[in-house]
Amino acid sequence: MKYLVYDTIYIENRNKPTVTLAYKYFINDAESAASSRGLPGIRLVPEPIISECSVMEDIEAGVDEVFDNIIAKLTTPLTEEEKSPKQKEAEEPARIIFKGDLEEVNRFFYQRGWMEGLPIIPPTEEAVARMLTGTDLPPDHLVARLEPRMGKATVEKIAVNAVMAGALPTYMPVLIAGVKALASSPMADVWAVSTGAWAPFWIINGPIRKDLNINDGFGTLSPGEIANTTIGRAMALITKNIRGVRKEIEDMGVLGNPAKYCLVTGENEEDSLWEPLHVERGLEKEDSAISLSFPNCYLQVHSYSTDDMGLLRTIIYNIAPRMMGQISLMMTPGNARTLANKGWTKEKIKAYVMENAHTDMDHLPQYYMPGDEKKDPKQEVPLIMARPGQPPPIQIFVAGGWGSWTGILSGQPGITEKIELPANWDKLVAKYRNVVPTYVRY
Amino acid sequence: MSGDSMQYEVLSPWAEADPVPMKGLTASRQTDLNGKKIGMFCNIKQASHRIAPVVERRLKERFPSAEFSYYRGKAFSVSEMEPQNIDNFNKWIDEVDTVILAVGD
Repeated sequence: MKYLVYDTIYIENRNKPTVTLAYKYFINDAESAASSRGLPGIRLVPEPIISECSVMEDIEAGVDEVFDNIIAKLTTPLTEEEKSPKQKEAEEPARIIFKGDLEEVNRFFYQRGWMEGLPIIPPTEEAVARMLTGTDLPPDHLVARLEPRMGKATVEKIAVNAVMAGALPTYMPVLIAGVKALASSPMADVWAVSTGAWAPFWIINGPIRKDLNINDGFGTLSPGEIANTTIGRAMALITKNIRGVRKEIEDMGVLGNPAKYCLVTGENEEDSLWEPLHVERGLEKEDSAISLSFPNCYLQVHSYSTDDMGLLRTIIYNIAPRMMGQISLMMTPGNARTLANKGWTKEKIKAYVMENAHTDMDHLPQYYMPGDEKKDPKQEVPLIMARPGQPPPIQIFVAGGWGSWTGILSGQPGITEKIELPANWDKLVAKYRNVVPTYVRY
Repeated sequence: MSGDSMQYEVLSPWAEADPVPMKGLTASRQTDLNGKKIGMFCNIKQASHRIAPVVERRLKERFPSAEFSYYRGKAFSVSEMEPQNIDNFNKWIDEVDTVILAVGD
């Protein structure tokens, strides 16, 4: 929706009048997008035609229902308010926002729309100051302005959200790098608000995994580790409170996605024979890094057989046509070793998948686009295609336990940001390293 | 969480953002669509390619001398994601009298 609004604004700014048709449930989103770009008066026509509708009777009826409104919005002269909208007053939020007991703080934050539903740790001065020990940067340092709201991600705001999430101070360097990754990811704002409910997926590489006890093994994507869980949760709170992505206003995910709570793993570099993700992207093995991509679904596939060709067939036969031609492959260490020992590099696997993952034309949405009636429904077409001059849109990393499963995640390969550590890192790590669960055998 | 009488003074997690200056619309609306060239903008949503022709047909019935010209975007946004097509887009905008955009989801 918002990108259609941006095109509307572009056309209006070229001094051409417009009317924009929007499915009635997306008007909030459209108005927020228009206002965020400073042209709140664009003329929207809410219509009742369901998204991606292909039923012509419904389209005819929907257009009939709003046709007079389309004409009215095309022809009615501009009002004074449309010509001179009210200016928004600058927000001057108090730094200390509330005082109360634990329950009152949680209730207050929830009612302000600052939580995702789970209880928070109150971000007091003391707690935030403790969180800030995880960085050398001053609290007012601006790490980035984050779309769509262009909220200022200062070190202090990151720390406040980190406290709320229950993060440890040693996670601050990861969160700061995560914010940088959000700012430099060209499509981060699209994925955050899309109807497809794409979730940020964070992969952490380098020595910091061990320093923070980040899980990259059994059940790595399940809850259970404070690092994986609260790094993801802090980034989700940052998305809400700094980026300004709120459900059904900006975030128009139709089904929603539990991965928006948190989706974090390390890469198991020790058991992999391949170059780790961050080294593939130009960093040194000794560097620590965080990679960001945006899947909207995650398929766990049990291997057809555990030889190299069985593993590869498991992949190519299970890529869903609607994964939009871009995937991440989460290879367990055992499967990755099998492939590597047979000479399969990450590049060779990508080439194999590109060449051999096919489907029928009528399994792809392109077949259903109106206008070209000559398509052969049974024409074999590739599921994964690189754009001209671009590398294969496949990301491969090693994570998960010792079992013969493969994770296939939709979404573009991500970007990687180096994690910068504070000067007193070793001392800090020593302080928090033993924060690990000990399970009692029963 | 009840029964905890300890008081917490808490910091706001909500980020500051510089206010965006609000601008008004400047393009005068067409008071009569007869004889005007109406631009039909279709984005990458499938439905836009079905909705726009229906709107065109209805408008032709009401304004028989209106003309129509289509522009079909190839990415989420022409203005933000298709720099290679921006000159054609500008030319198309300049050649029409008003634009109907379809469709927002």
